[in-house]
Amino acid sequence: MTAETIIQSLASGLLMGLLYGLIAAGLALIFGLMDVVNFAHGEFLMIAMYATFFLFAFFAIDPLLSAPLVAAALFVFGAVVYLLIVRFAVRAKANAGMVQIFATFGLAIVMRGLAQYFFTPDYRSITHSWLGGKTLSLAGVFLPVPQLFGAMTAIAAFVVLYFFINRTDFGRALEATREDAGAVALVGIDKNRVFALGWGLGAALVGLAGAIMAIFFYVYPDVGASFALIAYVTVALGGFGSVFGAFAAGIIVGLVEATTALILPPSLKSVGIYAVYLLVVFIRPRGLFGSL
Amino acid sequence: MSISRRDVLLGATASAALLPVAARAQTSEVVIGVIYPLSGSSAQIGVDAQKAFETAADIINKNYDFKLPLAKGEGLPGLGGAKVKLVFADHQADPQKGRAETERLITQEKVCAVIGTYQSAVAVTVSQTCERYQIPFLSADNSSPSLHRRGLKFYFRASPHDEMFSKAMFDFFDAMRKKGTKIETLSLFHEDTIFGTDSANAQTKLASERGYKIVADIKYRANSPSLTAEVQQLKAANADVLMPSSYTTDAILLVKTMAELGYKPKNIMAQDAGFSEKALYDAVGDKLEGVISRGSFSLDLAEKRPMVGIINEMFKARSGKDFNDYTSRQFMGLILMADAINRAKSTDGEKIREALAATDMPGDVTIMPWKRVKYDDKGQNNDADPVLLQYIGGKFVTIAPQEVAVSEAVWPMPSK
Amino acid sequence: MDQDFSQRRRRDLLVAAVLAGIAALVPLFVKDVYVQNIMVLTLMYAALSQSWNILSGYCGQISLGHALYFGLGAYTTALLFMKFGVLPWFGMLGGGLISAVIAMALGYPCFRLRGHYFVIATIVIAETALLLFQNWDWAGAALGIDIPVHGDSWLKFQFARSKLPYFYFALALACIAWLVTWWLEDSKWGYWWRAVKDNPDAAESLGVVVFNSKMGAAAVSAFLTAIGGSFYAQFVSYIDPESVMGFQFSLLMALPAVLGGVGTLWGPVLGAVILIPLTELTRSFIGGSGRGVDLIVYGTLIVAISLARPEGLVGLFSPRRKEIAR
Repeated sequence: MTAETIIQSLASGLLMGLLYGLIAAGLALIFGLMDVVNFAHGEFLMIAMYATFFLFAFFAIDPLLSAPLVAAALFVFGAVVYLLIVRFAVRAKANAGMVQIFATFGLAIVMRGLAQYFFTPDYRSITHSWLGGKTLSLAGVFLPVPQLFGAMTAIAAFVVLYFFINRTDFGRALEATREDAGAVALVGIDKNRVFALGWGLGAALVGLAGAIMAIFFYVYPDVGASFALIAYVTVALGGFGSVFGAFAAGIIVGLVEATTALILPPSLKSVGIYAVYLLVVFIRPRGLFGSL
Repeated sequence: MSISRRDVLLGATASAALLPVAARAQTSEVVIGVIYPLSGSSAQIGVDAQKAFETAADIINKNYDFKLPLAKGEGLPGLGGAKVKLVFADHQADPQKGRAETERLITQEKVCAVIGTYQSAVAVTVSQTCERYQIPFLSADNSSPSLHRRGLKFYFRASPHDEMFSKAMFDFFDAMRKKGTKIETLSLFHEDTIFGTDSANAQTKLASERGYKIVADIKYRANSPSLTAEVQQLKAANADVLMPSSYTTDAILLVKTMAELGYKPKNIMAQDAGFSEKALYDAVGDKLEGVISRGSFSLDLAEKRPMVGIINEMFKARSGKDFNDYTSRQFMGLILMADAINRAKSTDGEKIREALAATDMPGDVTIMPWKRVKYDDKGQNNDADPVLLQYIGGKFVTIAPQEVAVSEAVWPMPSK
Repeated sequence: MDQDFSQRRRRDLLVAAVLAGIAALVPLFVKDVYVQNIMVLTLMYAALSQSWNILSGYCGQISLGHALYFGLGAYTTALLFMKFGVLPWFGMLGGGLISAVIAMALGYPCFRLRGHYFVIATIVIAETALLLFQNWDWAGAALGIDIPVHGDSWLKFQFARSKLPYFYFALALACIAWLVTWWLEDSKWGYWWRAVKDNPDAAESLGVVVFNSKMGAAAVSAFLTAIGGSFYAQFVSYIDPESVMGFQFSLLMALPAVLGGVGTLWGPVLGAVILIPLTELTRSFIGGSGRGVDLIVYGTLIVAISLARPEGLVGLFSPRRKEIAR
């Protein structure tokens, strides 16, 4: 194992980690807002990737241009999912936690079925985009441009999110609603509207991630499954309720995955991620930066 | 099967159940069960397979002028012109569901034969179930060598398995070496499933027998979100030949990741699977100029046998795709099964089994480059010669073995 | 109240005995192998979900990693039989004990975790086990274990065509899981769990005893789940890591209880009776289209039931009990 291999591993791990962070950001936001884990998160990613693919295939819109469109579309989708499904799931008096898990899990199955029905199970890829296939070489270390762009988007998204939550009225409304939904109703804030917007925002973030992923990843109805579990582990590792935690945890997950693959057979590389998660929560039961 | 008399006489229910499934009345239809993943992550394979089987059924049931068994005339003449009817079942890549669906096909749909399954793990339970009901099972496209070594009487496989495929690759390497090409080191890249494991085992064994050095043996998790760490190790090893055993998803990601990390393998010799799928070449075909894949089918056979081209067009009209390594074997699977049923002149499982065992079909009446179809006592056809195909200028050309090759191999892979 | 409670328990036992009796007679009238197969699976899932319910429903520790114990049961039985010729009946017991011990060993650090941290820990542990088995050559790795079937034998617990022995075993397992739950409901563990559920602060004061009762619940739950896994290995006679330890399996074990009613005596049975035939029938009769319609139907149903009946479908059958729950 040469120094070059190790540096390359760490660099790739870092890029991948930021991307995991970006995928997990929406999940973290939704959880932080209303203690709901969206088990259809991977499927949100899947439809974002499909949307990007079809905009490219039919209208030749490059993923870079369609990313805002896809994020906007996902915003609407997320809000609608909240209003039609999640709103009722959180109202459940009995077994609220279980109802949320299985309502969103059922939604995930339906979305996969619908994707298969309408888009067929074929594997699709965007062939020629502005960034696709380009790679930077810095002193023998290769940094693929799409992933680099994804990593930078992740950083930007987290910065914006941070200011959004802490510095804007809407962000404060989100925060206040999370802390005491009953009290905000008294000051005229409609809880459902705030939650719907929160879901929309979370979905928009995963929409952004999906649009960038579509540049370098294949799309098919089950594509979300590979990323969903990593996203859950990332959010939990960072600590529920902390958007910054998801960002930090994403980087850790990426780096751990890359280093595990250097030490163990690559087929076991996820074991490293799982071991780190268990180790952290056994020591700190609320994740790295969790408040819940 | 070693069912003792005592076991059979254990109870009335047991012995009743062991009678051959109710003698089937002479019908105008012969029902054949086809079991594939029709939903879930490999649904695409199942959906394409449906089209291949429907094309074959169409050729059997209607009158076509091909030099292919059962093409001429309508239906099966041995059964008074009975038509072939297909019943599709979905096993969702789950061995348990495969078993349950096979039982349903046999007991409810009254199929007289079963064809499947794509995933080798499911073929294990499907063939086992067929054995219990004494219904012949034909492995159309499973390539795990362990399948025909389980002492099953009702198991048949016309196409090659991974050891035969891998042997063809090493024969090719040997031939290249004789010509003075330097091939010394190999990198294996395989997924952690039955397919990947069997393939890697066969390749490791052949490499040590024939004096090739394996410099990297990368086993990865199927459907990984990223393959960067894996590709780095391949890049560091930089073997003379990279030998991937991957399905479409991972093949796409592998090729993309190699380009991203600036790794241009000297040569790629692929164990089919993803490397024969249109989706891969649609996605990253420009990076695959000169890749070699093993296969059991080659479209340039159409030059010698025009019917291959015409049947391919018929398939394409249904599926929008050319025949590939899987769909061609699936097509042929039904023809072979129907041919045996026709010769058995019966839909009785044991009679069909006997007819299958007696199969001796010359290769030139098939759409495959095989010498002939003749099963050994384990149900394996050892005359199914694999071919090696090279992807040149946007299509596959046959480069080995000598008898069917249409051009010389471009070696090493052209570097762009 | 107490008298009501014991009266209800007696009635439950009576109803269960009658239902089990009727179920035992069904195969005399239903001879179709395919339908019998669905009945076996329904009973198997009823038993598995009932076992899952002990830890996740009554005790409130939501596990989405029960595939681990199922897989351990299946693998222990199959490996002991194939490698050492140990009859599956002993393998079953061995698998159950191993799973119970492992469940306690894992429970020790995990029970400190709350809510989703615990759920994700269970998923991650089961996934790790899956990956290890997938790479463990001695245990067949990805190739799995193919158990040869040589005719019918009670000793080896394998039957070529007949589903009846499997049916009665699954029925017995479902009954045992139900009885264990029934018994636990009235035990001191059951009282503690209810107390903790109604008032989380009470958990603090009960501290150690509650922790021990959780360990007990994990052991019982894992033991029964592993027996189910052993049964699966014998029933299907082929196992591989994906098909006995996959994440999907953990969800499938939980679903009947969730749909029927979490933390209720009858929920898992009811959920399994509705869900399993539906899953099997949609796949068999719609799945062949290759267009994913079966998934759409199945998923919609899960969403609809969990939204419309969050307390589970048992609520439909005993309105009186629903009042108590509220």
